Amino acid sequence: MLRHTLKRLLQLIPALLGLTVVLFIWYKLMPGGPEYALLPENASDAQREAMRESLGLNDSIWVQYGNFLKDIVTFDFGSSVTTGREVSTEIAERFPATLELGLAAMVLAIVVGVPLGYFAARKRGSLLDVAAVSGSLIGICTPVFFLAVVLKVIFAELLGWLPTLGRLSSGETYTDITGFRVLDGLLSGEFHVAWDAVQHLILPAMALASIPLAIITRITRASVLEVMDEDYVRTANAKGLGQTTVRVSHVMRNALLPVVTVVGLLFGGLFAGAVLTETVFEINGIGRFVYTATSNRDFPALLGCIMLVAVVFVLINLLVDLSYNLIDPRLRVK
Amino acid sequence: MRKLTKAIAVAAVAGLAATACSGETKNSGGSSAGEGDPFIFGSGGQVTTLDPVLTSDGETFRVTRQVYDTLLDHDGVEMVPGLAESWEGSDDGLDWHFKLRSDVTFHDGSELTGDVVCQNFDRWQTFEGEWEAVTYYWGNMFQGYGEESNYAGCEADGLDVTVSVKEASADYPGAFSMATFAILSPKSIEKIKDVELEDASEMPDYSQEVGSLAGTGPFKFDSWDHSSNEITLTRNDEYWGDKAGLETLIFKAIENEQTRRQALISGEIHGYDLVSPADVIELEKEGFNVPTRDVFNVLYLGFTEGNNPALAKPEVRQAIAHALDRERVVDTILPEGGKVATQFMPEGLNAWNPDVQTYEHDMDEAQDLVSSAGEDGTTLEFCYPTDVVRPYMPNVADIFEIFKANLEEAGFEVEPRAITWTDYVQEVHNAGCELNLLGWTGDFNEAFNFLGTWFDGYKEEWGFEDEEIFDLMSEARTEPDREKRDELLSEASALIMDYLPGVPISHSPPSIVFTDDVNAPTVSPLTQEDFAEMSWK
Repeated sequence: MLRHTLKRLLQLIPALLGLTVVLFIWYKLMPGGPEYALLPENASDAQREAMRESLGLNDSIWVQYGNFLKDIVTFDFGSSVTTGREVSTEIAERFPATLELGLAAMVLAIVVGVPLGYFAARKRGSLLDVAAVSGSLIGICTPVFFLAVVLKVIFAELLGWLPTLGRLSSGETYTDITGFRVLDGLLSGEFHVAWDAVQHLILPAMALASIPLAIITRITRASVLEVMDEDYVRTANAKGLGQTTVRVSHVMRNALLPVVTVVGLLFGGLFAGAVLTETVFEINGIGRFVYTATSNRDFPALLGCIMLVAVVFVLINLLVDLSYNLIDPRLRVK
Repeated sequence: MRKLTKAIAVAAVAGLAATACSGETKNSGGSSAGEGDPFIFGSGGQVTTLDPVLTSDGETFRVTRQVYDTLLDHDGVEMVPGLAESWEGSDDGLDWHFKLRSDVTFHDGSELTGDVVCQNFDRWQTFEGEWEAVTYYWGNMFQGYGEESNYAGCEADGLDVTVSVKEASADYPGAFSMATFAILSPKSIEKIKDVELEDASEMPDYSQEVGSLAGTGPFKFDSWDHSSNEITLTRNDEYWGDKAGLETLIFKAIENEQTRRQALISGEIHGYDLVSPADVIELEKEGFNVPTRDVFNVLYLGFTEGNNPALAKPEVRQAIAHALDRERVVDTILPEGGKVATQFMPEGLNAWNPDVQTYEHDMDEAQDLVSSAGEDGTTLEFCYPTDVVRPYMPNVADIFEIFKANLEEAGFEVEPRAITWTDYVQEVHNAGCELNLLGWTGDFNEAFNFLGTWFDGYKEEWGFEDEEIFDLMSEARTEPDREKRDELLSEASALIMDYLPGVPISHSPPSIVFTDDVNAPTVSPLTQEDFAEMSWK
């Protein structure tokens, strides 16, 4: 087990190196440079040149790549061209926002998606089943940003129930312990802050959860349908085991395996959705940072964020792999 | 299981109801904030530094302008006293004398004297290395650093200061009013004088931390929460002028205009800038106060002559000018108060010339000119930017569509090229387009700040050479006498409109919005609102 984990972690190195090459080539192929984002429309050639020189954009491509690799190895991604602050500081500040949002979305997707998929399978052909299947199709087809805007219009603009932006109301004072606003509010006993943070999380989490929710519902439904036909379920029923035992230990436990795989992949994929959700809801997370960094040609910021997302993605998949062993004892034997 | 389903349903409804009860924050134009409550303004972008000399970004200046003062200030577009209660330029335009206000103290307790002003100027002039890359406006207004700079020195005697330059320039005294040249306290300067900068992407730590720098303005920095892009200012009770009406002022960066609008309606903010013209009437109906500023910008359609031989023909340029339905743009896209531009500067400037050649929308004339030039069916590559709202260009895609249809009707083929903003500026600047839409908002009340931006010499972006225009512009640039300079620029404006290197399109009045429960500040054509004028009703 430990060896397997270490092997997977070592595999991360060539994967990340490959990613740096791809990123670097992509960056170099992109037109435009940060000097155009940073200086006014009427800046002179000399001023733009001074800015390029200072940013090291006039060095040879190999020097730039070398610096870039050195930065990665030393965990120093330099400063963000857009904000002027160290990328590592920016990431440290923003990552909890994205993680909090991602976790909220994933919890929502699982808590709603798994039971919905299960009951849809159990009541196959019923109204609930039809609603779950067609609802999930709509969920998959609806672009995240569109849903985000619709949710804002309904719940914030028209009804005025929920806030439209950020993680807390402006001017709210809070104690920063972990960077997770809800948790910090609870830990510090500032329950109004935790509640404020929850209110700010609802709409973005709903928007971000839409696609994972739809996928989880569908996968659970398909998986439960398949497992319900298995011999061991029939045997369990024939043995006269209680319905709850059959459903929990025989059906759900086996049906969950593909669901867990999908949850792992979806969690990594949430970062893509976070770019849109965080931008629409003006949440200062990694997703929004990537968005502004792309439009400003802010390479250090892009690099730091993409590397982080890659590492997180790989780690989550590793966790998913490891969790198989917990769910399916047969794998432990193998 | 039914029981469980029922329980979940009940919990969900209860949860939503609880949210609904406690989360009621909707604004209806008149919300219930009052004395002591913070006023929250939605800025269009994040603040990048607390040291205004290190930026050229308008959103940063909006905040720093409330905390620091400059030697001169503006009332509308007129230059008025700032920290200097009076000022005078020498006849040759080389020496600028300022008489400072007495009893002005900085937020850190130090006193304003002539020496402090000189310390600030000397600091800016001696920037070297990487600092030069990040101090755009000093490079622009004082033409460089150290010996190369146009800045010749500063002398102080008590509250009298003389700033000297080597060559007269149309940029003075306007430059002394710019937010970027805000006067910092001597303690601040002492604290930061040895700071080194690694490269242009790195903002020095002092510029990111509240408490490092002190100004003399009506507000003081209180906190800067980077994680939520919020800067909080508190009232400076020792302010030398009228004290601010608000105790606390928060600037929250909300980049997307629609999000700003929604945040206003839902009660999360109390005002924002760059209101989309399409929202103005709706917001007014809902009871918000949406003042519109006087115009002080220009949008133009630029030609890059070098890229298409047809554009070098005067008939073709005139045909384009006659083809464009600028009235329609002003009537249907710009906010109320927008104007068709007759030249490359707004009407309020003294150098504005009422007698320039104008080009009315006349499609028959346009078609005749295209035919007589033998350019029927000629393809024009037309670039326009995406992802951007500028004060002079609120909805560029719609403007582009109107002009594209106009040009096609006149007999041209139009090849559209939509480019994201950052790349767009570069593409236009490097002469990568044939037609482009761009503009400028003036920094201060000076016609050269408009015309000089484009026409003070050959620029690849325009690709035209006209010695008469260039000579006149360079004469104007160094003419110290304001009246004479305005005459020269007025003449240059007429020559430019005869030559027609591009078509001035419009002057757009950018709108700003406030909730109805606050006394809004006087809006400024230069977008330099003084938030200290505000108070809760």
